[in-house]
Amino acid sequence: MVRLYFLLIGARIRAQMQYKVSFLINLVGFMLLTGLEFGVVAVLLLRFGSVGGWSLYEVALLYGLTSLALGLAEMIGRGFDSPFEQMMVQGSFDSILVRPLGTLFQVFTSDFQLRRLGRCFQAIAVLVYALWNLPIVWSLANVVLLLLTIVAGTLIYLALFLIGATICFWTIKTPEVMNVLIFGGEEMTGYPLSIYSSWMRTLFLSVVPLGFVNYPTALWLLNRTDPYGLPAWLAWCSLLVALLFCGVAVAFWRLGVSHYTSTGS
Amino acid sequence: MRLYFEVARRSFRRVAAYRSAYVAGILTNAFFGALRSVVYIALFGSGATVVAGFTLQEAISYTWVTQALISIGAGWIDARDLMQTIRSGNVVADLMRPWSFFGYWLSRSLGERVFNVLMRSTLTYLIGVLYFGAYIPSLVQAGAFAVSLILALLVSFALQFLVNLSAFWLMDDTGVLLVVNSLLQVFSGFLIPLAFFPEPLELLARVLPFQAITGLPAQVFLGQLTGVALLQAWALQLFWVLVMGGSALALLRVAMQKVVIQGG
Repeated sequence: MVRLYFLLIGARIRAQMQYKVSFLINLVGFMLLTGLEFGVVAVLLLRFGSVGGWSLYEVALLYGLTSLALGLAEMIGRGFDSPFEQMMVQGSFDSILVRPLGTLFQVFTSDFQLRRLGRCFQAIAVLVYALWNLPIVWSLANVVLLLLTIVAGTLIYLALFLIGATICFWTIKTPEVMNVLIFGGEEMTGYPLSIYSSWMRTLFLSVVPLGFVNYPTALWLLNRTDPYGLPAWLAWCSLLVALLFCGVAVAFWRLGVSHYTSTGS
Repeated sequence: MRLYFEVARRSFRRVAAYRSAYVAGILTNAFFGALRSVVYIALFGSGATVVAGFTLQEAISYTWVTQALISIGAGWIDARDLMQTIRSGNVVADLMRPWSFFGYWLSRSLGERVFNVLMRSTLTYLIGVLYFGAYIPSLVQAGAFAVSLILALLVSFALQFLVNLSAFWLMDDTGVLLVVNSLLQVFSGFLIPLAFFPEPLELLARVLPFQAITGLPAQVFLGQLTGVALLQAWALQLFWVLVMGGSALALLRVAMQKVVIQGG
């Protein structure tokens, strides 16, 4: 399965590399466009000094983590986006069903967008800028926590893509609300969760656990306490939460597949 | 004139028909409006009362105005309809018809955007007024804003037309769109007021055309530009209408002379 994954993804990447100029323009384009997101945050914080008691560097840590997770998820998980929507619209999901491989695996490998590295590079740059300027003790535990959080964040965004795709089994097209959750969620988690109202904090730490892409980990690394009493050890639960959320998303996918009625034609 | 009016009317009715699309659009814009308002509340929470000429209420209202104007091209332009006709070659049919090609697309765009202003923008801003106490302008300010908005619609259309015409030369539009939309988002004042920028960036934004689309109308709406400043804003917008519109027409002429249309 793993070998097959890399075989399929390798083919996708070779195909994209046939158009080198287009690839490079896209890579740089995404780097600039997503760079603007942080540019805005930086301009605001330079004007105002801090947001909810968090400095520019601290906010940069939050932003870098959420942006990197989204970038990685977009790179490997875009198969759940337009390629899958196309399958739904054209009814070509039928052919997926008759192949001797899992549906989830086939849709997952239907696209791999290397150009999304543009966002990843930008996010890594912001992250390095933050970590360079913050007085974080780099113990082994902290390094492990940081890596775990990046994995967890990527999984959470992937699960959201998967849920968006699954809704297509009923609606054919991914509803706009998923884009709001994913890209709105990314912008939202770029600021400390403590500035939002209680129902929003609860929502983004439970039902849509996007808060876990960065907030508890940032609290831990920066030795901060949450003004609403969020326990510090929650940082170590990010991966667990992400896996649970993925489990829910996969179960939902199964339900969706069993509801599939082809559009025909 | 009657022809263009009919084109605009049909375009108006076409967008009005997709109710779920514009309801989803309003909710999306409202989400981002609410999110950014909360961020402003937190930013001003650290003690500042006036930052770069903006009070908290003005910053929040500014956010809602720019969100409300998304559907008229304040944040990004799309290149679907016209560009697709160029790619497919169907543009030939439109060029052969006895009308002004520019005028046809202008009336199509205006019809659609007049609907968006009346429906999407108004409802989006209303949510901002109800939930975040966004500013309600006086009748005079509303009038000044209406003038500014019409000029903004024309600049925005000219920019969109220029970008679409690039399809006559370029096979891949993603690069152009990414670059233009990035510039538009930053230098129009869509993401944050231009007054918040560091000085060199603000100066750059003031000489680029993008602020005529979003930043200036939003400031007029908030009543930040009155008297001479208002006249200057209008004049600047008019200047960009003429420059951008003129460039669009000139580029169209070049395209007509040089380009072999594909397909057919």
